[in-house]
This record gives sequence, structure tokens and C-alpha cells, in this order.
Amino acid sequence: MKELFNELLKEDKAFIHVPYGNGLFDLYKSVVVSWIVIGILILLILFLTHGFKVHNISKRQAAVESFVLWIRGVTGGMLGEEGVRYQDYMATVLIFICACNMVGLFGATPPTMDLTVTVALSLMSIILVEAAGLRKKGLGKWFKGFAQPMPVIAPMNILELAIRPLSLCMRLFGNILGATVIMELIKHVMPVIFPALLSVYFDIFDGAIQAYVFVFLTSLYIKEAVE
Amino acid sequence: MNLTALGAAIAAFTGIGAGIGIGLATAKATDAVARQPEADGKIMKLLLLGCALAEATAIYGFVVAIMIIFST
Repeated sequence: MKELFNELLKEDKAFIHVPYGNGLFDLYKSVVVSWIVIGILILLILFLTHGFKVHNISKRQAAVESFVLWIRGVTGGMLGEEGVRYQDYMATVLIFICACNMVGLFGATPPTMDLTVTVALSLMSIILVEAAGLRKKGLGKWFKGFAQPMPVIAPMNILELAIRPLSLCMRLFGNILGATVIMELIKHVMPVIFPALLSVYFDIFDGAIQAYVFVFLTSLYIKEAVE
Repeated sequence: MNLTALGAAIAAFTGIGAGIGIGLATAKATDAVARQPEADGKIMKLLLLGCALAEATAIYGFVVAIMIIFST
């Protein structure tokens, strides 16, 4: 049991050693895996979107267009009318986290199991939320927004700036870590057939749900900020 | 006796709260869908959000338990 955890959590995370700065600039495994995920996604996008036409479209183009409309509808519906301009960013994050969570299907460790990746994602989210609020309301109104609905809870509102990204990143990290640990345990106990059935739940369903929840909460915060 | 294991076990008790919370949320959502089957899309969305928030406490417990095991 302890060896398993050690293998998962305490392994040497550095994948590419940079011979400068005493290990400070080492590239983590999660970063390299997420680069691979990004590369595959970009190749997929380039393949799917080449040679688009206005008239007499191919089946591939129709499928891609309906998928884009669907995912824009999903994220735009969560953001509301005021924040609809951020729907493409949310769709990108949704697809990226979804792909990252499902890397476990191919035997690799999901990048979202590393705290650095989830912290980066949640920092991007909170910066976007506050920037959206600033852009919509202007500096003065944004500062006044901390004293809403009454000045007594202003400390709470300021604390929320830290709590929101913390809870976002811990939720994603903990869920993916838990799913991976359980899958590793099952692979130890029963290596045949059984893991395949459970990975449908732990890798595909749970990964998709967590990506959706991450995007949903970020959209909710944006919606609240631009109202 | 190794007390760190006990600490981790106590941290895992957060699962109780999460279980009760998700159970309550699902019960109410089922109720609401039975009353108004046409609003199931909105109810589903809210249920997912509520479940995610309730589940987060259990996840925090899990993370804390792992931290306890590994920080000693």
C-alpha cells in the first residue's frame, strides 16, 4: 500500500533535467504529458478543420460545426448573456481538462494529478473572473463590489479571492488523484477484465464530470462578476 | 501504536457529511423532477453543481488524509 502511494506521489517528477539553475527549471512529467495532449489536440483540430467550404460542405465539416455549436451552447448557457464573450475560453478549458483526465486510459499519469497543473488552471480562472469584473464594472465599482451586499462581509469577499481558486484546484486534484489511486489498487488486486469496466467510470465519466464542474464553477463566478 | 494512521482515518470521516449532503440533494432533485418533469434540464444542472460542492468536502478530507500519511 505504502509502496503504491510512494510510487504515485513521491516519484521523481522531473522528466527533462535542465542543466542550469540547480533543478529549478526542470520540466515535470505532467508538463510533458500535457504538451503531448496539447499536440494531439492541435493535430486533431488541424486535421478536422482543413479545407472548409461555404457551399456543398463535407460530412466532416458538418460534424465539426455541429460539435462547435453544441459546446458553445453548453458554455454560453452557463455564462449567461453578459459573459457570453468568454465562451470560447471556457470551451477550450473544458476540452483540455477532459483530454487530460482521460490520459489514464492510455496508461499515462494524468497531468491534472499534479498540483502544479491544477494550480495554474485555477489561477487562470480567478484572474479571468476578476478581469471580467474589472472590465465590466470599472475600477471604482469593482472595489465597491467587495462591500456588497453590506460592508460587514467585506473580509469574507476578500477571502473568497483566495478560497475560490484553492477549492477549484483541490477539487480537481483530489478527484483525479483518488480515481488514479483506486484504479492502481484494482490493477494490483485483479489485473484482468475488471479494471476495464471500472475505468469507464473512473477515467471517462469522472474525468468528464470533473472537467464540467471546473468549467461550470468558473462560469458561475464570471456570471456573478459581470452582473 | 501508529497514531498517524488514526489521524488519517479521522480525516476520512468527512465522507459522512458528503454522503448525507449528496443523498439529500439527490432526494430533493428526484422529488422536483417527479413534480415537474419538464424542468429536468435545469434541475440536473443544479444537482450536478450541488453534488460537486458537497463532494468537495470529502475530497478535502481525502487530501488531508494523504497529507497526514505523507508528512510524517
